[in-house]
Amino acid sequence: MRKSSAFILVTLAGAAILCGLLLGHARYGQARDRESLEAAAALAGSLELTDLCLFTEACYTRHPAMADLHAPFQDHPLALEHFPSGSLLTPPPFPARPHEPAH
Amino acid sequence: MNRLIERHRGIIDFACSSLLRRKGKNISLVLVYTLMVAVVASVIFFVQALKREAALILKEAPDMVVQRMVAGRHDLIPLSYGEKIGAIRGVGAVHPRLWGYYYDPVYRANYTLMARGDGGPAEGRVVIGSGVARTAWIAAGDLLTLRSAAGDPTLLQVDAILPDSSELVAADLIIMSEPDFRAFFSFPAGKATDLALTVANRSELATIAAKIVRQFPDSRPILKSEMLRTYESVFDWRGGMIVVILGAAILAFLIFAWDKATGLSAEERKEIGILKSIGWETGDVLLLKTWEGAIVSLTAFLFGTILAYVHIFFFSASLFAPALKGWSVLYPRFSLTPAVDPYQIAVLFFLTVVPYSVATIIPSWRTATADPDAAMRS
Amino acid sequence: MIELSGVTKCFNSGKPNRFTAVEEVSCVIEPGVVTVLKGPSGSGKTTLLTLIGCMARPTSGRIVLSGFPTLPPLGDGGTGRVDVSSLPERFLTGIRRATFGFIFQHFNLVRGITVLENVMLPAYPTGEVRGAVRKRGMELLEMFSIGRHASSRVDSLSGGEMQRVAIARALINNPSVIVADEPTAHLDSRLSREFMEIVGSFRSEGKTILIASHDPLVFDSPLADRVIGMRDGRIVAGAPPS
Repeated sequence: MRKSSAFILVTLAGAAILCGLLLGHARYGQARDRESLEAAAALAGSLELTDLCLFTEACYTRHPAMADLHAPFQDHPLALEHFPSGSLLTPPPFPARPHEPAH
Repeated sequence: MNRLIERHRGIIDFACSSLLRRKGKNISLVLVYTLMVAVVASVIFFVQALKREAALILKEAPDMVVQRMVAGRHDLIPLSYGEKIGAIRGVGAVHPRLWGYYYDPVYRANYTLMARGDGGPAEGRVVIGSGVARTAWIAAGDLLTLRSAAGDPTLLQVDAILPDSSELVAADLIIMSEPDFRAFFSFPAGKATDLALTVANRSELATIAAKIVRQFPDSRPILKSEMLRTYESVFDWRGGMIVVILGAAILAFLIFAWDKATGLSAEERKEIGILKSIGWETGDVLLLKTWEGAIVSLTAFLFGTILAYVHIFFFSASLFAPALKGWSVLYPRFSLTPAVDPYQIAVLFFLTVVPYSVATIIPSWRTATADPDAAMRS
Repeated sequence: MIELSGVTKCFNSGKPNRFTAVEEVSCVIEPGVVTVLKGPSGSGKTTLLTLIGCMARPTSGRIVLSGFPTLPPLGDGGTGRVDVSSLPERFLTGIRRATFGFIFQHFNLVRGITVLENVMLPAYPTGEVRGAVRKRGMELLEMFSIGRHASSRVDSLSGGEMQRVAIARALINNPSVIVADEPTAHLDSRLSREFMEIVGSFRSEGKTILIASHDPLVFDSPLADRVIGMRDGRIVAGAPPS
């Protein structure tokens, strides 16, 4: 087989698989998980939850939506930075004075 | 049209020949490039999926949460505040929330304890999240032992374990009845952790918040939009480690392209001379070089992205887990729903394929434009 | 026919190491015959070949090609006379590819690819259908009795076999003019004589052959219809008046 034919075939196969995944499987996955996501949302609603449970090391990593600029200092003055959650969680994008328009 | 296709195919044939001639070097190049694309694409898919799930799950979050701050710290809020806030026009209902943290020294994990009044477990019984069950090796019907604030061991019967679908939002929860909660934490009567408000009209949220702050200067209202924005910024490109990973990847891309761009070996130069002497035009030679670059980068892009997709959505980002887990002992099991942002994939495609293919032309430019008679003299 | 008038080629002009390879060369290369450029190394034979073969443009002077079927109908109203000394590269390459076939002194084969691929290489960028080119390539290899090496790498061939691959490659686009630079330099006497026989067969097909050589086996051969002597970039013997 000509080398260019082999390359074109492999590339087309790869592109087909990629499109199949990005379009087909993604859509299928979203449909498949819709119920469980809605159940989770309902649970969050009934429990009045405000945060995802991503990093359980510290209060400001567990509830970043509830945390403020001082929250990391509440643990301990010499507390070590939690890694990598500390790097991933930026300070809350709240304005300094509440309910002013955010910049 | 046929001629054009045949021309490109002929040049691709020779480009493949050229690449295969230095098999070892080029195969390792493709592998490394693929891996790099896989890492960047994994981050893209992961962040995209989490962002989508956060938005979907948290759309049921309370419209506003009111906290109380004392000396810069989050303090308990008196229920009397709640009564007065309930009287503000536009506020639908005020639900005091009781929740807090518990550190389990046996398993060194942090749990979030919540009290739930109506519909919650009976006294002496709890409903726990699947993460707690996993960490403390508990099944439904078992007894959970916690040490109360007064120092006494408290035995609680586990009624049920929350379903796996709730991992992302409730993995570390222990839900108990309100009397149990207050007794356990020696929680002062007449106080709550914070207040959750229902507000019917979204556009009034800011006004109501301003009123609350005016009435209670030590309070801190948090709007739902601000809660969601916190998560958007966590998953934003500009956040912490994502910038580092991307920066490292872009640097690696540039190093590759630079390596390509800085020079042609004597053998390659001779070969270009031969091609020109047997009738290849400058344009043909440059097209050859571009295809050489494109073959490598296209392959790397396609298989890197496929690898990333499979890693994140079929293997639940298992390679990221140790990095993200950090110091936590209790880590939710991510089974992410596929979410695709075509714009970001397109940008990744252009960044992967175009600079590399173009960089391959740069060192060949001079040799490709030289007169072919140089080949006669070799 | 190829007409040269006052062709001069200077290298590095304007610099201290300025060097004139070809000086005021005027001659006519007749079509359908074997012309040999004879002279010691440094006499400018190779440079002249590159100029005639449209590989480089002269510093001054004119080179006019006429009468070859592969010339495009440019220039004066379809008579097929083309002044290649002033054509831009685009057209020059097209003419070169279709009209000339080169055989280099060091063969200039691409290592690491097969013999057949080497032979087909000049035709790759033309967009011609692969099957037809492949067939022609195999026919040429058979014609020079190296068909059995079609799928071997060039590195494994002997000197004589490599030269035949080079000759086959020169013929893949069916050119009207064959140009050979010191073709017998790496061959023994038997192979040199075989080469001249192949040249004879080209001539009987009506092709024009131009050889640069300082090998007596070439310029003293009965097949050499005309011998032009060169020295220090000038013609010193054998050129008919233009």
